[in-house]
Amino acid sequence: MENLISELKEKIIETLYLEDVHKEDIDEDAPLVGGDLGIDSIDVLELVMMIETEYSVIIDNKELGEKVFSSLRALAEYIQTNRPQV
Amino acid sequence: MKFKLIYPKWSKMERQTEFHLPPHGPIVFAASLPEDVDVEFTDENVEPIDFEDPVDFIGISMMLTIQVKRGLQIADIFRKKGVKVIFGGIATMLHAEEVMQHADAVFLGEAEGRMTEVFNDFKNNRLRKVYDYLNEQPPIEMVGTARRDILNRDLYNYKGIQMVDLVHASRGCRFNCFPCAVAYLGGRQFRPRPIDKAIAEMASIDNNRLFIVDNSLAQDTQWEMDLFAEMIPLKKKWCSHPIEDNPKVLDLAAQAGAWYVYQAVFDTSQYIRDRIRRYHDHGIGVEGTILLGLDTHTEDFIKELIDFLLEIELDLAEFTVLTPFPHTRAFEKLQAEDRIFTYDWDKYTADQVVFRPKHMSAERLGELLSYAWDSFYKNESQQLKMSRLYQKVIAKEKADNSYTPRKRELARQAFGQKLN
Repeated sequence: MENLISELKEKIIETLYLEDVHKEDIDEDAPLVGGDLGIDSIDVLELVMMIETEYSVIIDNKELGEKVFSSLRALAEYIQTNRPQV
Repeated sequence: MKFKLIYPKWSKMERQTEFHLPPHGPIVFAASLPEDVDVEFTDENVEPIDFEDPVDFIGISMMLTIQVKRGLQIADIFRKKGVKVIFGGIATMLHAEEVMQHADAVFLGEAEGRMTEVFNDFKNNRLRKVYDYLNEQPPIEMVGTARRDILNRDLYNYKGIQMVDLVHASRGCRFNCFPCAVAYLGGRQFRPRPIDKAIAEMASIDNNRLFIVDNSLAQDTQWEMDLFAEMIPLKKKWCSHPIEDNPKVLDLAAQAGAWYVYQAVFDTSQYIRDRIRRYHDHGIGVEGTILLGLDTHTEDFIKELIDFLLEIELDLAEFTVLTPFPHTRAFEKLQAEDRIFTYDWDKYTADQVVFRPKHMSAERLGELLSYAWDSFYKNESQQLKMSRLYQKVIAKEKADNSYTPRKRELARQAFGQKLN
């Protein structure tokens, strides 16, 4: 799980071109959206696409999105549980 | 000489998500101005007009009938101060006689090659009341690259996302559709721009997303295919009015970056069903433009049409009611039948009924318009459907490495206004 969280931090910074944010700035238990990182609903659209491409996990409704993006840890847990097993 | 060019504001349709695109008419017009004219542009939809700013000459550019009353008010204010006002643009041509009563001059027609004369007349204090070139279109080769430098680009930005830039590759239209004024305005002869000029203009635009505003690209197959072929290396992503229903053309359009089209859906036929499917098969989204209130439209038909729109999986839909704009076949017919009950141009919003429909009351048509919006977006909101379409363009851009991130410093602004 910690590896996935670390990997997600990198991918979020890369996907959203967060130039002034470093991995250690992201608190995995803090709200991911609307918090200090400045991530908003438009960023969520891009993160949804990244998660589908990178992990084959689809987040396709608002209620699920709110739950999954409540924190980075929640996101990692959701991906871990729902990604196809190889 | 300081020339202030103004684009009057108007109220957006009530049910449509409000957004502001950079206007096209004023920047095309500005490209035709003599070099010694210092032009300053104000789009009143996104910024207030500074009536105290000292200027030599005012130009008011109007595209829509719902800009006319406001345009006339603005002219009255400047003329009271002794500043001369000239009007131009589509709505000026459609409402010329009324506009003339509030103007020092009106310009009718296409501006290329004409502005040196107009500005010389202004400087020599011999401005004519009317410059009527409506039926004397300049050679299409004279159309230059629009003056996008006069736009304040950050005002056309939503949370850091730059709105599409508007560009045109042709004028005129060989069709003469019932509700449309293009036959009157631009003539029924399709006039494509030289492809190299249109391509050079597109390439010059500092935006990967465009709206090709031509009336319909489906006018001349070879020209359309040649245009798309030349567009491929630009890697632009674009929306447009209809693209010809031909697999070779659609394939080239997709390669050239077609993102989505505005496609009229006027019946529930297999043809329309297949037409939409063929766009989708080529990865091109479809925003249906649905006009309600034609004489063939009964209440049952309108309800069937909405069900049909959901079945064919349109990406978005925009509903309007038939509005008889002057110099359209719709206006001539409804006026001749004494069915237009108001000429208050502020009501010509396309979401207010201004005529008596054949099969129902005006009020009932208004209710069915609301029903259409509600039904189409019942299971998936407009916002959600727009998000999906936005994701499509991002996916296309990431696939060919043309994606550029949004301006994060504008993430808390919408069209120049700070968001909470």
